[in-house]
Amino acid sequence: MRLLEWKLKPHDWMIAYTRQTEWIERRGIFLWLAFVAGGLGGGLYLVSLFFNSLWGMFTGWLIIVVLKGGFHLAYLGKPLRFWRIVLRPQTSWIARGLIFVALFIGFGVIQLGFSYWLPGTAGEAIFKVLAGIIAFAVIAYTGFAMNYVKGIPFWNSALLPVLYISSGILAGFGLITAIGLYDGNVDIAAAETGSRWLLIVSALIIAIYLWSATYMGTTGKQSVIEQIRGSVAPVFWVGVVMLGIIIPIAISVSSYYAGEVSRLLLIIAIISELIGSLALKYSILKVGIYTPLLPTSAY
Amino acid sequence: MVIDLTKCMRCYACVVACRQEHFVPPNVFWNRLMVWETGKFPAVTEVVVPMRCMHCKEAPCVDACPTGASQKREDGIVWVDQNKCVGCRYCVIVCPYQNRTFVSKIKEFFPGLGLTEYEKIGQRIYPHEGGVTEKCNFCMERVDAGLAQGLKPGVDRDATPVCVNCCQAKAVTFGDLDDPNSEVSTLVRKRMGTQLHPEFGTDPSIFFVTSSPRMEA
Repeated sequence: MRLLEWKLKPHDWMIAYTRQTEWIERRGIFLWLAFVAGGLGGGLYLVSLFFNSLWGMFTGWLIIVVLKGGFHLAYLGKPLRFWRIVLRPQTSWIARGLIFVALFIGFGVIQLGFSYWLPGTAGEAIFKVLAGIIAFAVIAYTGFAMNYVKGIPFWNSALLPVLYISSGILAGFGLITAIGLYDGNVDIAAAETGSRWLLIVSALIIAIYLWSATYMGTTGKQSVIEQIRGSVAPVFWVGVVMLGIIIPIAISVSSYYAGEVSRLLLIIAIISELIGSLALKYSILKVGIYTPLLPTSAY
Repeated sequence: MVIDLTKCMRCYACVVACRQEHFVPPNVFWNRLMVWETGKFPAVTEVVVPMRCMHCKEAPCVDACPTGASQKREDGIVWVDQNKCVGCRYCVIVCPYQNRTFVSKIKEFFPGLGLTEYEKIGQRIYPHEGGVTEKCNFCMERVDAGLAQGLKPGVDRDATPVCVNCCQAKAVTFGDLDDPNSEVSTLVRKRMGTQLHPEFGTDPSIFFVTSSPRMEA
């Protein structure tokens, strides 16, 4: 009873493992969605460049402008001051991120204009390269922004940006396949092949990331335990592993051996991949656990 | 600042004084006391650790802030300019000591009954804003006002944070850590003051002195 009384002290969170909440709960949900939208939009844009799908590029650009931009603004405490975010790019990853997004919007709209009205010109090629590089930065910066947080060992890993990049491009392959169902320019078989390889790579990166996190002290290990056995486990096993990896891989492998795959199965694979992308970022944000400030032997 | 954990007696005077000085809104704490028990009956000890912003020399919140709202002054005080903060909460996330609070909106102490006279006066004297981040600022207004009068922070009460002034056990000492002859520097040197989680590389400006080997470990 005495111990229980102490456990109810308001500062328990400082001496026990505590999750970050600002970036996933309440309005933090918007930030999670913005991170996912950044990966989806940037990934789709990059993959569309490869397939030269104007619809894909436009959709990727639109996702960044409308969804990512909108979710970020909805998340901010003072959205009308958003322009101030660009003021400290020398040290802040969030400032760099907004600059990347602004540049992507600018380069993207010029490139789309060139591709629509002046295809095949040098201007189109230059802006495709510029927008492509910036799209890559848009996907990657969220990983670096989280990797900077030393108090949360699970995030403080060099593999996190790599994981975010692979996850974003994978989601891009999923979306380009969806666009390919209506846009004849997209080679669905090639998109399927790319998707298949990236699924395997992503699964490996997730496994290595979790394994390496167990070596980041007891807090990192606790995050992994929460991920695979705690309250976030259903999201991880069902969302990330089953829907995000196993189902798309199964459909992809079946299409590889069968030669072709039905439209319905393709749509199921695409939806599964998108849910997997949402679940992956949700679970990573959710198990961001701080190192306790003080020894916890009392517990 | 040096906090002597052997002297703190859990009176919460520093917490109350801070709230009074800055009219801190409900559910927001600029400083706190962490209290818990250790050991087994009958050898039970109560551990009390006053906690507030560490005013790190290598403050991750200052580097992470995209707008420049989180700033570090020449004297080492880390503060938040509420007029520049956009409420992105990156500073809240990157603070390994979890000593920043995002205030979504200013609430009243008695929900549904409106602001009390005290709260109204507080909003005029020390306005707080919703949608931004807050934290301890080492009573920089007092420090600045005292310095303007030629007073010395940590020595003269009018140039010293209220949490230091109100501590009846004299567990909290304030001063210039860069001055090797200051009281805080002497305490750190003689009592082997330790920083919290030095492995984060933030070089906190708050040192703890204790007789307990637990904290020194």
